[in-house]
Amino acid sequence: MLPAPFPTVPSRISKPFCGVLACLSTLFATCLGPARGAEPGASEAGYTSGVKPLLAQRCYPCHGALKQKAQLRLDTVAAMRRGGKTGPAFEPGAPTRSLLWLRAASADPEERMPPEHEGERFTSAQLEILSAWITQGAPAPDPDLPEPDPQQHWAFRPVARPAIPPTRDPTLSRNPIDAFLERARERRGIRAQPEAPRLTQVRRLYLDLVGLPPTVEELERDSSDPAPDAYERLVGRLLADPRHSERWARHWMDIWRYSDPFGLGDQLRNSQRHLWHWRDWIVEALDADLPYDEMLRLMLAADETHPHDLERLRATGFLARNYFLFNRHQWLDDTVEHVGKAFLGLTLNCAKCHDHKYDPIPQVDYYRLRAFFEPYHARLDVLPGEPDLTRDGLPRAFDRDLDPPTYRFVRGQENRPDLTTRIQPGVPDILAFAPLLIRPVSLPVDAYEPERRPWVLEAHHLAAQRRVEAARTERNRLAARHPAPASPPSETPECLPESGPAQDLALAELALQVAEAERRSVEARSQALRDRWNSANQNPASSHAEAVAAERAVAVARATRAAALAGQKHAHAETPQRETAAQELAKARETLEKARLAVRAPVTGQEALTPLPGAAWTPTRFADSTKDDPSQEFPRSSTGRRTALASWITDPRQPLTARVAVNHVWNRHFSTPLVPSLFDFGRKNPTPLHAELLDWLASGFVASGWSLKHLHRCIVTSAAYRMDSSQRDAADRLALDPDNTLWWRRPPIRLEAQVIRDAILIHAGRLDLTRGGPPVPPAEQDQSRRRSLYFMHSHNDRNPWLATFDDALVKECYRREQSIVPQQALALLNSRLVLDAAPAIAQHVADAALRLSPEMRSNSDATFVQTAFLTLLGYRPAAAELDAAQSALRAWRTAPPQTDPTTPGVAHAADPAHSQLVAVLLNHHDFVTLR
Amino acid sequence: MHSRPSALPRRAFLADLGLGFTGLALGAVLQRAAVAHTPASTAAGRPHFTPRAKSVIWLFMNGGVSHVESFDPKPMLTRYAGKTIAETPFASVQDPQKLALERLVVPDANGNQRNTLYPLQIGYRAHGQSGIEISDWFPHIARHADRLAVVRSMWTTDSNHGAQTQFHSGRHQNDGDFPTLGAWVHYGLGSLNDDLPQFVSMGTREYWNRRDGHYLGPQHDAVPLRVDPAHPLDFGRPELPVSPRDRETSLALLRSLHRLREIEYPADPALTARIASYELAARMQMSVPGIVDFSAESPETRASYGLELPACREFGMQLLAARRLVERGVRFVQIQHGGGGAGAWDAHSGLKANHESLARAVDQPIGALLGDLAQRGLLEETMVVFATEFGRTPGSQGSDGRDHHIFGFSVWLAGGGLQGGMVHGATDEIGFHATEHRHYVTDIHATILHQLGLDSRALEIPGRKRLEIDHGRPITALMA
Repeated sequence: MLPAPFPTVPSRISKPFCGVLACLSTLFATCLGPARGAEPGASEAGYTSGVKPLLAQRCYPCHGALKQKAQLRLDTVAAMRRGGKTGPAFEPGAPTRSLLWLRAASADPEERMPPEHEGERFTSAQLEILSAWITQGAPAPDPDLPEPDPQQHWAFRPVARPAIPPTRDPTLSRNPIDAFLERARERRGIRAQPEAPRLTQVRRLYLDLVGLPPTVEELERDSSDPAPDAYERLVGRLLADPRHSERWARHWMDIWRYSDPFGLGDQLRNSQRHLWHWRDWIVEALDADLPYDEMLRLMLAADETHPHDLERLRATGFLARNYFLFNRHQWLDDTVEHVGKAFLGLTLNCAKCHDHKYDPIPQVDYYRLRAFFEPYHARLDVLPGEPDLTRDGLPRAFDRDLDPPTYRFVRGQENRPDLTTRIQPGVPDILAFAPLLIRPVSLPVDAYEPERRPWVLEAHHLAAQRRVEAARTERNRLAARHPAPASPPSETPECLPESGPAQDLALAELALQVAEAERRSVEARSQALRDRWNSANQNPASSHAEAVAAERAVAVARATRAAALAGQKHAHAETPQRETAAQELAKARETLEKARLAVRAPVTGQEALTPLPGAAWTPTRFADSTKDDPSQEFPRSSTGRRTALASWITDPRQPLTARVAVNHVWNRHFSTPLVPSLFDFGRKNPTPLHAELLDWLASGFVASGWSLKHLHRCIVTSAAYRMDSSQRDAADRLALDPDNTLWWRRPPIRLEAQVIRDAILIHAGRLDLTRGGPPVPPAEQDQSRRRSLYFMHSHNDRNPWLATFDDALVKECYRREQSIVPQQALALLNSRLVLDAAPAIAQHVADAALRLSPEMRSNSDATFVQTAFLTLLGYRPAAAELDAAQSALRAWRTAPPQTDPTTPGVAHAADPAHSQLVAVLLNHHDFVTLR
Repeated sequence: MHSRPSALPRRAFLADLGLGFTGLALGAVLQRAAVAHTPASTAAGRPHFTPRAKSVIWLFMNGGVSHVESFDPKPMLTRYAGKTIAETPFASVQDPQKLALERLVVPDANGNQRNTLYPLQIGYRAHGQSGIEISDWFPHIARHADRLAVVRSMWTTDSNHGAQTQFHSGRHQNDGDFPTLGAWVHYGLGSLNDDLPQFVSMGTREYWNRRDGHYLGPQHDAVPLRVDPAHPLDFGRPELPVSPRDRETSLALLRSLHRLREIEYPADPALTARIASYELAARMQMSVPGIVDFSAESPETRASYGLELPACREFGMQLLAARRLVERGVRFVQIQHGGGGAGAWDAHSGLKANHESLARAVDQPIGALLGDLAQRGLLEETMVVFATEFGRTPGSQGSDGRDHHIFGFSVWLAGGGLQGGMVHGATDEIGFHATEHRHYVTDIHATILHQLGLDSRALEIPGRKRLEIDHGRPITALMA
């Protein structure tokens, strides 16, 4: 018989549990196990170690500094004694006469605390802790501090510029970052590791700043440059290098949840077609060092602030990405959650179902924030040269509904809106440092009638012209084969010439006629549109009539061709299908007849012209999964809500934005953030150890005009960044500070998936540095030599090789995982990527060895090994490593050749043993590690 | 450990050590590798109490198997065929209160109610000593009726195929992404075999979610295995020719270079993990292809799994591989049948033809698996689970289909110390609502964890407190 593992649970949630409860989970982060029950006799200690943490977890959200429901606070014994509306919380010595215990232990869900849906019941062990303490007379420790005021929470206070602390040994500091860290180390008597070897520092800078390793020449040059400011100048060069923006774009794409479109089969369900335009905007913005605050403003509201500017409109891909075909709530939940997490470090999502349990964010605030986004939808705008939106187009946000209602959902359940109150956009009180000004934006005509953009009609015309040319080429090709004149059988199109080539030619002629008619129609409709737009000095009626006529001509041309095809099909139909074919032919003739008749009908001026669209709304299916929701015209104004939100987020008085941003950047340089919870700066997270450093960086960031390059320069030129990552001779510090909280060494980083692949390609001389453009589809990735940043990357499409190395998840990736798993070993040992690159790399290494050591006339193994280590691992091998490598080279050479020399992988000039060594070094821990 | 604030969840620690993914779960590693930095929490890697089962074979039928045409006979559907539910004595099933648990993701303008009752498309017979009624589409499974614990009273909340993920993680997709049962088992239990991945998945999973570990970390994702002996594992063998002897030299050199590097970088857990990962990779590379090499199996065994029959071949090979895996101590083998798109069993129309042909593909291999495990004495320690995301509506969709149905459906379990030959729970007379012993999907998880000797409450990750409903409750009535 097994021991009963689960205590009987008296009641459980039998109704639909909802998303609501999902975030309650954080409330009970560190549960007290039953083992840590009351310790009889340990009175105040029992309170401090048992009761107080328990109440903090279970009760403070409603009865503490955040809220005082029923005027009751439970965060000090004195407050409990004072009690609330219904009297004191306890009667010393008598748990069963104490409300605190009675309410927690009640069997009646109406009575019981925490209330149903607000938190789990106290376990019997927890009740025992309460009861024991009350029985002992509810002793209080001294002091018994109340929960601090939320206003005083470190992250909600304004960013102050802290003074740079003096340190005992200023030579240990290269810049103020080090002064802050050094002071913290001094206090604990901890010494920092020395600077890393120059070679390591140079490799570090290249990989970190441009995401690619240096060539061996660059490594030698930059690490031996005797100039005192050699390092700083290298930093400057690398920050100015265009490849820097591609490297850091990938970091921000993680944080901002970049995803190429995905869905089920061909159906687009999430994100947007051509979302790569947003990726390219990120790259270009970083390259130009566009201020971070401006980046956020453009991502949130470029359609309101720059409605003319296609370049900037790309930024709103950030919002367009959250599109979800079927469910508006899921779409907006994602938007609110990640605007909160990525920009503000606020877990707004925790307030979707109930008031936030830690932060001063009532549930209604979640919906006030949602209201900023309620009007927006996604659309594709026509780009110059391509009117076909399936081929290209600009995915962007726009306000589609100008006054959509937002309701609070009872317990977060989308089917339970509280219809009594329409929620207006607004921000949490605690962060409302200025009145929010929402001013509707009246849009230029281009924005709501995008076909007026000068390139749109041109693009339609160009496409029509291209179709004509393609049809003509085809006609001419067939005509060359069949020189007999083919009279187009326009009157009786079904009577095609019988023979193959003549028939093909006749059909091609008809296709050309269609294309030409279409081109004329595009021209005529363009003219009609232009005339309507300039109707002051033109006569729109005549151009309208021409456009109508041109459209009718298109109908005739199409019907003619369709009839010819139907005739052809009929002529070739076997008996069983002949009847159907005859019916189709009759129908085609009828259509043609009607089209011909229509040509002769008078033009009334009321005819609708087929539009030449300048944009298309991305249709949703919120009402019915089987058909698109009705489309509507683009509004002439925008609500201005998102502009207001963006101003609030980027206001220099906003305490969170800059802090959160510098923490992201710090984390990506060091793989360890200053505030561990990258997306949660709320009260659950105590003042970080290096809060002053964080504030110094944040204030400097804002003062620099939110320049990311300034911030990068500041961080990478610090001694903290240049420090050795080894734990050599550090037993004392490992014992004192095993988690390196005082930054006595630099944390090593397992390189990101993209960097590893790009490094392999560039070492092989194969990296294609083409910038931007549509993503490389999965089927082409094996052969592709583009930077990994450009690979199609979505929930559905992830490159398997990159996935092995913890590629970003599109749903959320505030931090990259750095796993070390056998699958990585297999990928590096066995993948074509590596095996195919090794010989090419070996050849490059051999060439470099010759260049670097011209005195070595023969390319000796020793030189090769040294150069290979330097190139791939960034250090010079020790004697033992050199020996090991050289004896392996000998072993490979003595092995009988077993591989087929015609195999592509081995058909190369490099010494096969050298290739083997290179392959081994690509598997070396240091190859995938930023030391 | 390099620079991890100690408050970070254990998974981050493990992610760095990198020894979880293929089975060196937690405590097992820490004990074996004698890494000093033992996390404060439980003695994981060992069961919390005496286990009754060691391994799980999880068979998931994607798309939604009709419960009324598989394991839950409802003759009333035939009797009242063509009537609307309102016209039958069972009108009360559509009481809005009772329908409120549904959480829609994808709207369905047709309404999710299929009102006109659709007759049973297949007959039922009672089987075995227990007399469990099983439809005639599953004759091979039916032979093992006395080994099955059929649960006829399941319910879930996502009325679309996100319910596939929900059945694995216990959460509705609108709540976010959560670890799946297999990931929890992998996280909670040590390895039984260091040469093989401990959490293996076969078949296609496509609809919503292809991962398992989520907040437990990628090292707890299932390792995909293909039943193709030439290519069983991603990057499992060199994609360009490499001679074994050269490879041996390479691995030896790599080993010594890594060891030498420890001089400059002593006490570097990442380097230690990297070294271990190569050892494990080498062992996996050796062991995994053998799993899908069926030449050692007798012709009778191969035939019993249907390896010679085109209809069953693929699934039969997966199940035979599953048996070979659990035989070698693999903890959790997750097999998706009919994955891709919404799932093959999604018989909105042509239900009869659809289910008939899919049942033909899975029935014989599953029957063979149960028999094979039992004959080898493995069934006692292996739980076989047959599940699907939801059932299908009692009413017809179109002329010959059934729609998604979340209010009542069936799964079954076998082996692993559970009772056989029993039916637990029931739906109402038209199979609409689970009425007796209602079970949400996590009750199945809890039952499995319990038999494996795990208390899901003891597996908590700091900061990721789970809810009562996430843990579920073990169905003690099933236990032997």
